[in-house]
Amino acid sequence: MKNGALSKLYILGILLFLYTPIFVLMLMSFNESRYNTLPFVFSLKWYEALKDNTTLMTAMNNSLYIAFVTGICCVILGTLFVLGSQVISGKWKGLFSSMMVMPLSIPWLIMGLSLLLMIRAFQMDKNMFFVFAGHIIISLPYSVLVLQARIQALDSALDEASASLGANALTTFRRITLPMLAPAMVAGGFLSFMMSFDNFVISYFLIPAGITTLPIEIQSSIKFGFTPEINAVSTLIIGISLVCLAVVGAIMGSSLKSIFNGGKA
Amino acid sequence: MNNYKKWLTAPGTLTLLVFAVAPLFIMLFYSFRNDSGVGFTLQNYVRFFEKSFYLKLTGRTVISSLTVTVISLLISYPLAYIMAKKLKGIRNIVLMLIIIPFFTNQLVRVYSWLIFLQDGGVLEEMLNVLGMAQDGLGILYTRTAVVISLVHIFFPYMVITIYIALERIDNALLEASKSLGASAVTTFFRVTLPMSWSGVVSGILLVFVPCLGCFVEPRILGGVDGMFIGNVIEDQFFEIYGWNFGAAIAFLLFAMVLVAMALIHRMGGEKQ
Repeated sequence: MKNGALSKLYILGILLFLYTPIFVLMLMSFNESRYNTLPFVFSLKWYEALKDNTTLMTAMNNSLYIAFVTGICCVILGTLFVLGSQVISGKWKGLFSSMMVMPLSIPWLIMGLSLLLMIRAFQMDKNMFFVFAGHIIISLPYSVLVLQARIQALDSALDEASASLGANALTTFRRITLPMLAPAMVAGGFLSFMMSFDNFVISYFLIPAGITTLPIEIQSSIKFGFTPEINAVSTLIIGISLVCLAVVGAIMGSSLKSIFNGGKA
Repeated sequence: MNNYKKWLTAPGTLTLLVFAVAPLFIMLFYSFRNDSGVGFTLQNYVRFFEKSFYLKLTGRTVISSLTVTVISLLISYPLAYIMAKKLKGIRNIVLMLIIIPFFTNQLVRVYSWLIFLQDGGVLEEMLNVLGMAQDGLGILYTRTAVVISLVHIFFPYMVITIYIALERIDNALLEASKSLGASAVTTFFRVTLPMSWSGVVSGILLVFVPCLGCFVEPRILGGVDGMFIGNVIEDQFFEIYGWNFGAAIAFLLFAMVLVAMALIHRMGGEKQ
């Protein structure tokens, strides 16, 4: 019994470590003071200031736009990939799958600057195409992992049953495979959206001059002196991530943890 | 049919080949380029190994990353163990609570530590209330601040990989060990730890490797003393425009990552 209480205390301690700084930040976004210090006086003025801050609002729109395109591309590429890799076997399958998740294990710093060097090697200016390319390669693994876990759980007998009942390949895909993959496509898409929306490093290296995203705005306000609205923006960002995660969590439940294990349950 | 179907993997695979694999080779190419723009040279690499500054910084990066990994392991293993073997009803809630921060913005989390740790900030006020008053915490802009924030960012990985490994261990095995007379300690070191080792190893991989390549946290929280090798690379690209030299350091970092991955794998991640 005492043992159990100690265990719960330990968990509480860890959760405090995990959440206190984030909680303080959210609290400060509702605080009158601009120096992020106590005492706490409730105020919504930073949210009102945020509404009129066109730079931050544009950055928010850009971030949402990039993440949206990235999410869609990742779902399409990821779905095609897992469908195709169903029929591949042997060493190619292993090779392809490990290449797909490779960007998870290489620091983003290296991915970002090697893409920057690629732009340079082609003697181009920084452009949105490469921003999307960068965001897609770092977000794609998440879609692939989620979709792979789902497709492995599907019973291939269903495909065969559909075929033996006279459905052609396209009908089988449309009526059987697609509906069964749909939840994983939504979950994977939201995960990739979230990875892109939150990404700073790739945008930092690749974004063309004059275009900005929310993480880049946060970074420059930390670097060049504080914009007090940053607390409010950060709180909104956390909110957006939580909404995405709630969608993913509702679909995947605790199997969400498999993402951390290379897709193995 | 199957012959056509396998081509569905092509768009994804090609995207990765073109935008993830090929750029690494371009980076390698640049690292051998001469600053004058003609011919190839080893000068960029020689410069790195000649200056003790770069080697020392690399050393400190490795040591800091190891520190983060060890601290993460020490706090994660007990937590994962409690979650897998002691908790019943609230297990999945705790699991979600551990996962959620992982999916919040990296920069926001670093920034939250900046606010929390600053002199006169909330942590100082909290310590004041507890009577551990100390004017000016002096944690911010040190290596300690960087290590704290990196542990905060990466230890959830470790909790989850270890938890997954522990969850698979059949409780009957632990009881068998106990009923055969093994003490709790013996059971832990002879049964529990070996059987969860794969989770520990994947956790180490997921914490240590990204730490090697981080540069945002040291830049914001680290001050002058807390810099990582990633910051030198960043400077070469954004401040000094020494792209060829920057590419060489980045490639050395990439090589370090590969070596670390190989070494960690040899610790036994794959064997079950």
